[in-house]
Amino acid sequence: MTQQTTTDIRLEGLTIGYGEHAVVSNIDAVLPGDKISVILGGSGCGKSTLLKHILRLHPVLAGRIVIGGHDLTSLDRRGMHCLRQRMGVLFQDGALLGSLTLGDNVALPLREHTKLPEKAVRERVLAKLGLVGLADFYDYYPNELSGGMRKRAGLARAMVMDPPLLFCDEPTSGLDPVTAAELDQLLLELKRSFDMTLVVVSHDLNSMRAIADHVLVLGSGKVLFQGSLAELDATQDEYLRRFLDRQAAERNSPRLTMPPLDFKLMKRDCSGYLGE
Amino acid sequence: MIEARRAQLPPIARLGDFFLRHVGEIGAMALFLLESFGRIFRSWGQFNKAVRQVYFIGVKSISVITLISLFTGMVIGLQMYYALAKFGADGFLGAAVSLSLVRELGPVLTAIMITGRAGSSMTAEIGVMRISEQVDALQVMDINPVGYLVSPKLAASIICFPILTAFFDLVGIVGGYITGVLLLGGNSGVYWYRVSAYLKMSDITGGFIKSLVFGVVVCTICCYMGYYTHLRRDSVGPEAVSQATTSAVVTSCVLILLADYILTSLLF
Repeated sequence: MTQQTTTDIRLEGLTIGYGEHAVVSNIDAVLPGDKISVILGGSGCGKSTLLKHILRLHPVLAGRIVIGGHDLTSLDRRGMHCLRQRMGVLFQDGALLGSLTLGDNVALPLREHTKLPEKAVRERVLAKLGLVGLADFYDYYPNELSGGMRKRAGLARAMVMDPPLLFCDEPTSGLDPVTAAELDQLLLELKRSFDMTLVVVSHDLNSMRAIADHVLVLGSGKVLFQGSLAELDATQDEYLRRFLDRQAAERNSPRLTMPPLDFKLMKRDCSGYLGE
Repeated sequence: MIEARRAQLPPIARLGDFFLRHVGEIGAMALFLLESFGRIFRSWGQFNKAVRQVYFIGVKSISVITLISLFTGMVIGLQMYYALAKFGADGFLGAAVSLSLVRELGPVLTAIMITGRAGSSMTAEIGVMRISEQVDALQVMDINPVGYLVSPKLAASIICFPILTAFFDLVGIVGGYITGVLLLGGNSGVYWYRVSAYLKMSDITGGFIKSLVFGVVVCTICCYMGYYTHLRRDSVGPEAVSQATTSAVVTSCVLILLADYILTSLLF
């Protein structure tokens, strides 16, 4: 049995979804503190939905979410304010405010929640931007940056309040393999340097292997697996094995048995271009 | 699923469901307005944001308001001059132009013009922020999105609508002067005398009250539609933003005219 820490996240009988429609039902899981937990699963299995419910962006349908002994589903407004200021979140595309420069984006939580003088705010923002390799882009607007840079800037903003808990939603999606590996490396360094608890939502197996201490696999609206990476690798579950070995499910695809499109039926005569 | 269940309801129940949903939405808008109004005065930081919004809603609307008000005044001057001349009352042109502008056309047309120029962009801005998770990002940073995004716009609308309305009235009266006096040969002194003699303080305050109400209505509707873009049933993503913008402009214009009728009945 693992030792409980103040940043353990416990999901107890949790059912989540939108409106009356449940996406994930009755799950019990623990995302251990001071570790990197990866929530894994195929597209549309409810990973991001689970993350948004843990962040209390949506009300849960049933069950409890307990972070550090606080039940989020019954926490009052003041408690939620305090907890949120101790969490950092990196959204899928960074979710930087388009009307603010990178520096102002990262400085936003400091300006809203602290009494730091402007000079100290700037120093701190530059330090965090330096941490993600963007110190020279302080005055750039988000639309002037690449996708990878926006994600790193989002990470700097998530880190600016030195939160003990960091949530990342698909941090490597849409990135080239080198940039994705760099971002994974960065998450590992942050974890090592600041002793944080990280919860990463991902469907990137390479990324999961690079960073995960603990894995939670979702599928078919329930938890399919939770445990360490070694335990996941040793699993004999058919779906999980297919998922981990990247094997497609066997199917008789109608696309492959259909006759090809007759070019004579095209509205515009394009004969001679890449084919008949 | 809800839509399918709704379609199975008998007609009377569907009508009831329709009314209940709309009453619920009006209630939600009222709460949204109360929250955004309450957060105007929360912090000194709101002041800077409100000033930026005053520039966007107010200063940037001046050119379009000038054009519209000038031509509106000129058209009223033209029409009224011929109508009044038939009864030998062309000397009352100043009174007719100023009263129709200050009491009715100034507040209404200013509000409709600002809805088209600034209201639509409020909806689109907040809607895009919503679908790109920027609103969620504010929420998880423990920054109230309504206070951060809507309250400065509401404060700016409360400031800008009456000022732009006053500007509209002023330029419109000058427009009436241009046609009635400079182009059609009316008497200049009589025109200005009738303006000052027939325009009462109650007319001016009535016009300002209208413009204040319109400012609150337009800002609330436009921001509300943008804020809840993600809950739209008719579309998702960028299409939802465009639908929300269209709905915001149409609803605002209809409510401006509805509120105008009610306020005219109560004020004058």
